[in-house]
Amino acid sequence: MTGYAIVLESARLERLQAVGNIAAIAAASEIPVDVFATMGGLEAFDKERIETMDYEVGEVGQAMMEVEGMEMPMFYESIAQAKELGPLNVYACELSMDIMGKTLDDYHDVFDDVLGVSGFLTHAQDKQVIFV
Amino acid sequence: MSETIQPDVTVDSRGATCPGPLMDLIGKVKKVDAGTVIELQTTDSSSSHDVPEWVNKAGHEMLDIVEHEDEGFWSVFIETTK
Repeated sequence: MTGYAIVLESARLERLQAVGNIAAIAAASEIPVDVFATMGGLEAFDKERIETMDYEVGEVGQAMMEVEGMEMPMFYESIAQAKELGPLNVYACELSMDIMGKTLDDYHDVFDDVLGVSGFLTHAQDKQVIFV
Repeated sequence: MSETIQPDVTVDSRGATCPGPLMDLIGKVKKVDAGTVIELQTTDSSSSHDVPEWVNKAGHEMLDIVEHEDEGFWSVFIETTK
């Protein structure tokens, strides 16, 4: 195994933040990471959603957003920062994008490419797959 | 003693939560030469534990952690080895 392939399906803020943190630290530590954002996980990167902070939020996520005096990087910011520091690639699910009638321009610019499932599985074949 | 460590570079990550301080440190570590002493300032208690873990795993040298109780932050001193 050489790194992690994270399938990100969730649109829940806590899960997005956890993926952002783990992917960022791993990649910055030279552990290869591929993130495949699909379904709700892809929509979490929609520019409009980012603007309006329209996420499913649980107790911890709520506390995260309300904490004062602390600067908490959002998942897409951690990922963008980590891409500068290590082997982190982010892919958008083609099917999800087609269903929503969107293009990569509709999403935050962290994405390297658009992939189908077969394409992602090729990237993932030597990695530990984590489904979130 | 610990107060006498003179860093070559200081990274001020006070106010940032995990993974901000560690990401800031890694970004700096990648830019400097081996043998550089870096002070990371953080107000995030989890980072004060997690950063030494990363430093040891990455093969750099942990020099000291100084808690500035009055000011509410930690200084983590490391020396790069590569």
